[in-house]
Amino acid sequence: MAEFGSDRGGPTVQRMLVGAKLRRLRTDLGLTREQAADHIRASAWKIHRLENGQVGFKDRDLRDLLDLYQVEDPQEVADTLAMAREANHPGWWQHYGDVLPAWFRAYVDLESAASLIRTYEGQFVPGLLQTDDYIRAVVQGAHLERSGEEVGRRVRLRMARQTLLTREQPPRLWAVVDEAALRRPVGGREVMRGQLERLIDATKLANVTLQVLPFAAGAHPAMVGSFSILRFPDQELPDVVYLEHLTSASYLSKTEEVDRYLHVMESICVRAAPPDRTAELLGRILDEL
Amino acid sequence: MNELNTDVPQSARVYDYWLGGKDNFPADRAMAEAIAQQVPSIRAQVRAQRAFMGRAVRFLVAEAGVRQFLDIGTGIPSAGNVHEVAQELAPESRVVYVDNDPIVLTHSRALLSSTPGGQLAFILADLRQPESILDDPAVARTLDLGQPVGLVLVGIMHHLRDDDDPQGILATLLDALAPGSYLVLTQSTPDFDPEAMRGLAEVSERGGIPNVPRSFADTERFFSGLELVEPGLVPLPDWRPDLGPAQEGGQSYAYGGIARKR
Repeated sequence: MAEFGSDRGGPTVQRMLVGAKLRRLRTDLGLTREQAADHIRASAWKIHRLENGQVGFKDRDLRDLLDLYQVEDPQEVADTLAMAREANHPGWWQHYGDVLPAWFRAYVDLESAASLIRTYEGQFVPGLLQTDDYIRAVVQGAHLERSGEEVGRRVRLRMARQTLLTREQPPRLWAVVDEAALRRPVGGREVMRGQLERLIDATKLANVTLQVLPFAAGAHPAMVGSFSILRFPDQELPDVVYLEHLTSASYLSKTEEVDRYLHVMESICVRAAPPDRTAELLGRILDEL
Repeated sequence: MNELNTDVPQSARVYDYWLGGKDNFPADRAMAEAIAQQVPSIRAQVRAQRAFMGRAVRFLVAEAGVRQFLDIGTGIPSAGNVHEVAQELAPESRVVYVDNDPIVLTHSRALLSSTPGGQLAFILADLRQPESILDDPAVARTLDLGQPVGLVLVGIMHHLRDDDDPQGILATLLDALAPGSYLVLTQSTPDFDPEAMRGLAEVSERGGIPNVPRSFADTERFFSGLELVEPGLVPLPDWRPDLGPAQEGGQSYAYGGIARKR
């Protein structure tokens, strides 16, 4: 099973991990959801939701299921129970609950558990690489918050999220950024200058890969909008596609949907300038600002 | 070749699926599963091949003193890529990776990084045009062809038909390398389970990926004019098991060997 230290992902993914394990154990024995459900006096729908990590686990249900699935090693039982309990604990982002809508919470949670974050950004600099001035300009520009205090908290939240990239065993960020996002002077020239310099610095990080998708690439399959694909260390977890909307977000993990987005991601990575040219391209955009 | 096509199976992505990766598409998975029907041990075989490559590179660095590599048919990055094995022992090692799948190129460029003292380069090219590999400026920029090079051809020779002139391709590549260079080569074979390998080849060909298992004698011919190092050309798990982690059991349907250019 994957590591699951408290800084390695909040509840959502922990549940996904426990759920994925339960699904594997059940199908290995050729049991139906109905049979599993009967054993814990629940519905097949409940089993479905447990296996998808959509609901929390009760100790007793979990013990009964592990028993049914012939998991006899006491260490494995204890580990699984511990993992499920951890899944019921809040993540660090709880502190920012009032400025963080639930749909974004789940994202922060997943993002912190990912081993690889691939993202395409058409309009913005990727969130994990934004400077605080840039974030402030985006938040104010979007009129998302009224009070200065709320803006401040949102900025701090974004910054807290960025510590992900410098923690121990950080995930890898592989971002493709449209030239448009780099040329739009968000917050004015000075702010954008600082932001571009930050991006140039980021290209030196061992776990960050940045590719610029130049205007010269013409029409491309990702023009419809920004998206991210998260991959997790546990092979049993599916890749998750994240799409952010104004008031909500979508999480796609069905194979057919992930395949489509992965295809688009691969296509734009092939079209974008290779990563070893990024610093030079950013420097040129900076000069022309 | 620069265009990405995920509607047809592609060798690197089929391997990725067997190795447990997620950088593959429905056509790749369908072929991988169809082949697994013919050769149920295919995943173990692919891992055995990967393990052989690790031992081979370890041998070249630790015992033969090789510090530069030309790896053709890189595949989608996975654990134990050539430079990782080499640079762990000799951080100054330099590696040129070559593959004909644009996804391999972008993933390698994005995800593989060298030690500070070493160097990596990535080339989109096809083994069937060896000149296009040798003429790529990245080769001259990264490798000193006056010094020995480890030419790594693992899991790729079976994609060459006899019509592609594999002997000629090997000759072209080896001619460009200095004396003291080494050839690392694997080749799938029908010698142990002819029926399974015939099935594998058929499924693969039907999906548009050439697949030519070869006999021991035909494989040995790839090394003609070179000095095979101990233990010679053998089933993959039998090649210097002392250099790597314990092998999984089972049969191997591929030969592997390492030979030195005089």
